[in-house]
Amino acid sequence: MHAPSFREKYLVRFWSPTPAVAVAGVLSAYYFGVTGTFWAVTGEFTRWGGHLMQLAGAHPERWGYFRAIGLQGLPWDRVDGWVVLGMFAGALAAALWANNVKLRAPRHGVRWVQGFLGGFVAGFGARLAMGCNLAAFFTGIPQFSLHAWMFTVATAAGSWAGVRVALHPVFRAPVRVEKVTAAAQVRAPAAGRRFWLGALLFAAFAGVALVVATRQLKLGLAGLFGLAFGLLIERAQICFTAAFRDLWITGRTLMAKAILAGMAASAVGTFSYVLLGVAPKIFWAGPNALVGGFLFGLGIVVAGGCETGWMYRAVEGQVHFWVVGVGNIAGATVLAWLWDRVAPALALAYPKVNLLQALGPVGGLAITYAGLLTSFLLLVWWERRFLTRAGGERARSTSPAAATGVLG
Amino acid sequence: MSPLTPGELDLLVPTHRLDMHGEPCPYPAVATLEALPQLAPGDVLEVISDCAQSVNTIPHDARNHGYEYLGMRQDGPTLRYYIRVPAQPRP
Repeated sequence: MHAPSFREKYLVRFWSPTPAVAVAGVLSAYYFGVTGTFWAVTGEFTRWGGHLMQLAGAHPERWGYFRAIGLQGLPWDRVDGWVVLGMFAGALAAALWANNVKLRAPRHGVRWVQGFLGGFVAGFGARLAMGCNLAAFFTGIPQFSLHAWMFTVATAAGSWAGVRVALHPVFRAPVRVEKVTAAAQVRAPAAGRRFWLGALLFAAFAGVALVVATRQLKLGLAGLFGLAFGLLIERAQICFTAAFRDLWITGRTLMAKAILAGMAASAVGTFSYVLLGVAPKIFWAGPNALVGGFLFGLGIVVAGGCETGWMYRAVEGQVHFWVVGVGNIAGATVLAWLWDRVAPALALAYPKVNLLQALGPVGGLAITYAGLLTSFLLLVWWERRFLTRAGGERARSTSPAAATGVLG
Repeated sequence: MSPLTPGELDLLVPTHRLDMHGEPCPYPAVATLEALPQLAPGDVLEVISDCAQSVNTIPHDARNHGYEYLGMRQDGPTLRYYIRVPAQPRP
């Protein structure tokens, strides 16, 4: 036994997800205070789709959706652009440090279709609801916007439907267990150069962001926040999809509880900035949040990852998630194109409910934490119920016949 | 996190293997929970996955569902999990 090196202990081993999500929650509150906007990615991806449309000769800047979210400049002229670039850089640096970059093509052809369709539906739904998991959980609920609670409930329902699709035999490969007499031989690719490449990327991005910050404070700081977010999501493998999906599949609540901890850490921080006068981002509490949330939940489960999930998996070299990303941007862009037709009925006619205004600051804060506590208790109840039932089934099936059973 | 030390894991001899290379989540975790009931008490399953996110799924699911999670070996992008079927199935 030797004591693990710093690199081994902090940069190669994965981080525990719960503290990592709590730190992300605190950072997202600071991010709101510093930039005046919220941590989000899909809006920026939609703009990238808009830029591609412009290159193709279309005029998406005339669409109502882009008039609402803005399509001026290029990614590096925007706060949202810097946070997304920072997240890609941070996640790639983290993956390089851990020697976790490898081109991984899907083993089954059906994953290509699954990834694109899932990404498309998730991107479409997220934008219909005015933001994905980040905008809703990390910044919607902690920003006291009622639409985020509607989105969350609908996402849970959508993820349940997504599980029915993802576990359909069409998407399943046979489970082959082989008998073995030794552990598998694994030869990891040499880590040396990748580690330093990751360190160089991290330092270079941080340096550029600092220089930019001296001229345009918000842009540069958004880049640094993005770098930290990217590091956290890759190192701790934070997965909002798993938070919902695995409640229904295996009864696991680890990630869902972690995200609740993140929201609890974030909400009071956001609250303090709102008291100081920063305007919270409040969206329409209309059917768009419900329909969009449902489609988002369905799409992320089919795709295997949400908007943040595909970002770090794509830079790790998981080719499946490149396809998810393309589908995601395509779906978000199609929604932007349809927005002027669907928005009046689904969104614009409904009020933007700010819980801090509707219920007063104390009422809004209290109901938010009461909602988080209720969600936590529901998770505890669900986990116990699920695992008790699974245990009962296992006891019935563990007869001697089953134990010596079917081995491929 | 790992009940066995890295040295103990190196000496561990699995009896069965589930190779989930190239499969994204949730399939490695789902297949693990489907494979384990096929084994006999005392058997040790080695699950290979290059979906990094499985660090937050397979160990927890194995324990939650009454199996003995022994540990994980991380070699670059390849993760190998070791899970033992307990002699007496736990409730």
